[in-house]
Amino acid sequence: MKNIKSIVAVALLVASVLVANVTFAKTIKVVTTTTDMKSIAEMIGGANVSVTSIATGYQNPHFVDPKPSYIISLSNADMFVTVGLDLETGWSPQLLTSSRNTKIQKGSPGYVDASEGVSLLQVPSSLNRGEGDIHMYGNPHYWLDPMNGKIIARNIANGLERVDPANKAMYEANLKTFDDKIDAKMKEWQTKMAPFKGANIIAYHNEWVYFETRFGLHIVDFMEPKPGIPPTPSQLVKVINEVKSNNIKVIISSPYFTTSSSDVVAKQTGVKVLTMATSTGAFDQVKSYFDVFDYDINLLTAALK
Amino acid sequence: MTVLKRRNVFGCAAFVALSVFIISHQAVAQITPDSTATDSTLLKQIEQQMQESQPAQPASTVRSGISANPDIGVIGDFQGSFNSFGKRNFDTYLNETEVSFQSVVDPYARADFFVSFGRNPTTHDYGVEVEEGYLTTLSLPARLQLKVGKFKQALGRVNTMHPNALPFIDMPNALVNYFGEEGLNDEGASLSWLLPNKAFYQELTFQATTGFNEAPIFYRGDNNRLLYLGHLKNFFTLGENSTLELGLTGITGPNDSSNVTNVGAADVTLKWKPVQMNTYRSLTWQSELFYDNANYSDTSFQNALGFYSFLEYQIAKRTFLTGRYDYAEKPYDNRIVEQAYSLTAGWLATEFQKIELEGKVTTTNLNSDLHYQAWLRWIFVVGAHGAHQY
Repeated sequence: MKNIKSIVAVALLVASVLVANVTFAKTIKVVTTTTDMKSIAEMIGGANVSVTSIATGYQNPHFVDPKPSYIISLSNADMFVTVGLDLETGWSPQLLTSSRNTKIQKGSPGYVDASEGVSLLQVPSSLNRGEGDIHMYGNPHYWLDPMNGKIIARNIANGLERVDPANKAMYEANLKTFDDKIDAKMKEWQTKMAPFKGANIIAYHNEWVYFETRFGLHIVDFMEPKPGIPPTPSQLVKVINEVKSNNIKVIISSPYFTTSSSDVVAKQTGVKVLTMATSTGAFDQVKSYFDVFDYDINLLTAALK
Repeated sequence: MTVLKRRNVFGCAAFVALSVFIISHQAVAQITPDSTATDSTLLKQIEQQMQESQPAQPASTVRSGISANPDIGVIGDFQGSFNSFGKRNFDTYLNETEVSFQSVVDPYARADFFVSFGRNPTTHDYGVEVEEGYLTTLSLPARLQLKVGKFKQALGRVNTMHPNALPFIDMPNALVNYFGEEGLNDEGASLSWLLPNKAFYQELTFQATTGFNEAPIFYRGDNNRLLYLGHLKNFFTLGENSTLELGLTGITGPNDSSNVTNVGAADVTLKWKPVQMNTYRSLTWQSELFYDNANYSDTSFQNALGFYSFLEYQIAKRTFLTGRYDYAEKPYDNRIVEQAYSLTAGWLATEFQKIELEGKVTTTNLNSDLHYQAWLRWIFVVGAHGAHQY
């Protein structure tokens, strides 16, 4: 009798474990450095992943404060996605070391550098800080070209397939859906931007080169005299003259820069100051990676008309 | 005394044994007892991967600057000073040149070295010392992290930071009186545990060090007694823009009377830094309290209390203002009390260069004299520059 009870108990235990495994597939916990990586990871991972981003969409990704609270989610993560190219060098290495999580350290299967395979722009031939805050591997704001979104998605899919090979087919299917949507949206965005090909604009910080190249804009100058150096009076005078002589209609900036110096130029010249979305979540209506381009292109085309 | 000695030796042995156990556990975890089973599992994985179609790998592009060398940085700290006491009131000097070498060693650990070339304030000769040099594990189980070498000990906030990262030029009086100009910086081992608390960040650190530090309240002497430190760090996110850190520290170690000095310390840091405009505005209030209990014999002891409190306000993107109050009872005679008020203005050209000006006035209850001091500090960085702690 005692043996029968034991056998029944063990059988129930085994059955419950099997049921639990069938009913609740393991959710892959992903931590990304930025919201664009989060948005793409959610689209590739679908219901199989739970994704959190360290930075918000309205925050300067160069200067995120490495709060210890981020270590909690990193310590439990199965995968970590970084923009790479030194963009997060001031904060993410410290957080990764403190996470004590071997699964997401550089070189581990759960570490994804989303920049792998991206054709980089503005790669310096030498590193001289006299030129301002330049990046040794090239300009790191590559996600602002939607076609690079496809490379990011490929890298994220590769990472998910490494940590969760059982669901490879689903990730590949989601990747195809994402790529198809990018291709469809690209036609729409290119059509909207076509009338403004070659339009001269001013940018606050050197973070739009991939967007500029993809959509055929021409950034004449920056509000910052050198990357990372706040606008100086002489730079404002230079920009005012450039706006007047080149018939420039807009200055584009980001949510994490003050518009006070751009407003001075606007007051002198009548140029419009546009605060564009540099990332998903920059504004309430920018809820996904696709929304970044919808928002920016609508804003820009309306101002350039 | 013999009992005490045995207890300390036992504590040291226990710590070393624990460390060895953890490292060996990690090593054992990676060496499966049955290599046939490992080969079989590996073979299956290879076969599975061979059967699966190769995922499309994007073409890699050439990246510049790839090197096996560690990240190397040099921080220069040039100062000018004024002191109302003594015959020579003005001075200028290259206070310190700090050279850092930092790199991951292998998948299991990283190493950090900070070599300091500094000036002796008395002889004016320049000397070199290893300010810090330690190995940190990256792959221990159970959320543990082991650090071995010479390091700034986990005593609250200011002690763990390099002077060039502080928002003032001099160290708080209490810290100097109890732990020396360099703070508590010692050789040994540190084991920290990230508590499995999902509500807020908690880290428990235990450190055992040799006691060969420059802290006036501790003295290694000619015996086998070590210095033990325990620290609990609690970090709360109060909202998107505000955080609170509360820390508790306990230290026990030998003193110059061949007895034991115990220290209890607490720290609190409240920060407001708007996420969207975090490079333009911030406000930090930080305070640390130290309570020193020195036992000189079975019947003789001395207690002393010290603390500091500062408020740092970022006025604009490049401009900071810090006001600090210090209170410190002398550790050898708590009837002598120092109080100091200081104000520091800082200007950051970039994240690689800053200029600070500090004025300070100190009083003691021994007389009515006011001691005036002022410093001008110019910090500049070339090469790699690691992240500062939050």
